[in-house]
Amino acid sequence: MMKEIMDSNFKEEVQNQSGVVVVDFWASWCGPCKMLSPVIEELSNEMTIAKFTKVNVDENPQSSQNFNIASIPTLLVFKDGKVVDTMVGFRPKAELEQLVKKYI
Amino acid sequence: MQRYDIAIIGSGPAGLSAAINAKIRNKNIIIFGYEDFSSKLIKAPKINNYLGFHGISGLELKEKFKEHIEAMNIEITYERVNNIYAMGEYFSIMVNETIYEAKSVVVATGIEYTKPLKGEEEFLGKGVGYCATCDAPLYRNKIVTVIGYNKEAEEEANYVSELASKLYYIPMYKSNYELRDGIEIVQDKPMDIIGKDRVEKLILSSRQLETDGLFILKDSISPAQLVPGLLMEEGHIKVDRTMKTNIEGCFAAGDCIGRPYQYIKASGEGLIAALSAVSYVDSKRI
Ligand SMILES: Cc1cc2nc3c(=O)[nH]c(=O)nc-3n(C[C@H](O)[C@H](O)[C@H](O)COP(=O)(O)OP(=O)(O)OC[C@H]3O[C@@H](n4cnc5c(N)ncnc54)[C@H](O)[C@@H]3O)c2cc1C
Repeated sequence: MMKEIMDSNFKEEVQNQSGVVVVDFWASWCGPCKMLSPVIEELSNEMTIAKFTKVNVDENPQSSQNFNIASIPTLLVFKDGKVVDTMVGFRPKAELEQLVKKYI
Repeated sequence: MQRYDIAIIGSGPAGLSAAINAKIRNKNIIIFGYEDFSSKLIKAPKINNYLGFHGISGLELKEKFKEHIEAMNIEITYERVNNIYAMGEYFSIMVNETIYEAKSVVVATGIEYTKPLKGEEEFLGKGVGYCATCDAPLYRNKIVTVIGYNKEAEEEANYVSELASKLYYIPMYKSNYELRDGIEIVQDKPMDIIGKDRVEKLILSSRQLETDGLFILKDSISPAQLVPGLLMEEGHIKVDRTMKTNIEGCFAAGDCIGRPYQYIKASGEGLIAALSAVSYVDSKRI
């Protein structure tokens, strides 16, 4: 299950967390985001060792600005509160899994 | 929605050969391409290296191909595929407003894509994008530049200009540009994209533009853009002997996988790709 994060609790839910947190920046009008969502959702159910979250960029402009999101979908991987990796655009599940595994 | 066994992207010799071989194996296929099959086929004046057809012209060979696929009841879907997403068990194939689904894919798109600009790949997702309408809301009140290779790009530029504080349009073709008032048309050659962490400037041959975002809207798309996640090697799709790519269920054939660029090589690879796709689909059946 992926948790919805807002500007108001981004710090608490992502930056103040230890371990690996994946954040999916998306919006309802973005086609590739819609395709990526079920793929990450599936991965989140398999990789319970990481925390998977999503941020709607329309409703949460502050978080997207803070992390310089210039294109969506963008995935940020946080480890112990710091951004350690970025992935822009749709990717197949195997590649996403590889990306997250690097930091576990 | 019906899910095809194999979707073939491209109607050149590689795609057509993949189609006939998949059909012989009784697979439910869909093939995307053009009425002329391939502009490279109809342009060839004389072909002397396609076994069995000495001295044939490209147009004549095209007619032979046409007879062949018609005899086998293969119909080409005359549409351009925009994106293919590997969803895991299947692929989603985006064609304008329609989505098709297939268990496996054969990419046979030939090679026509223009070379990327200097800095284009480095700043992809850091200010450089290929879908202006997708990312427009992220550029509200910012400066955006659109490099347009065709008329459709004008529509995207018009849409983005409603949100951006300033929009530069750089046309790479000649026409009457139907652009909204306030859009600045820049007739100049783009050379280089520069910046630190993200795009800051576009260098043209006789001027520089400060810009927050840069959209490059082309006719043809590279395979890695067509199929996000597809592994490339020196400008071609990386495949093994069985025409398998790095993505499970995705195969490739023809000019898009490498030199030499020849008809009979493309057809041979189309055959291998189709047979590999057939085995893949069969192995998945429960
Ligand atoms: C003038 C000329 C003469 C030549 N002479 C010879 C010769 O004598 N002998 C020889 O062996 N070779 C010759 N060639 C080379 C030959 O044309 C190519 O090697 C061959 O066409 C490659 O086949 P292909 O199927 O890989 O790709 P192509 O023939 O390029 O076909 C790919 C097709 O896919 C379509 N496509 C691409 N992207 C999409 C998409 N997203 N959605 C839908 N459709 C898409 C393309 O528009 C195209 O129709 C010649 C080429 C030219 C230009």
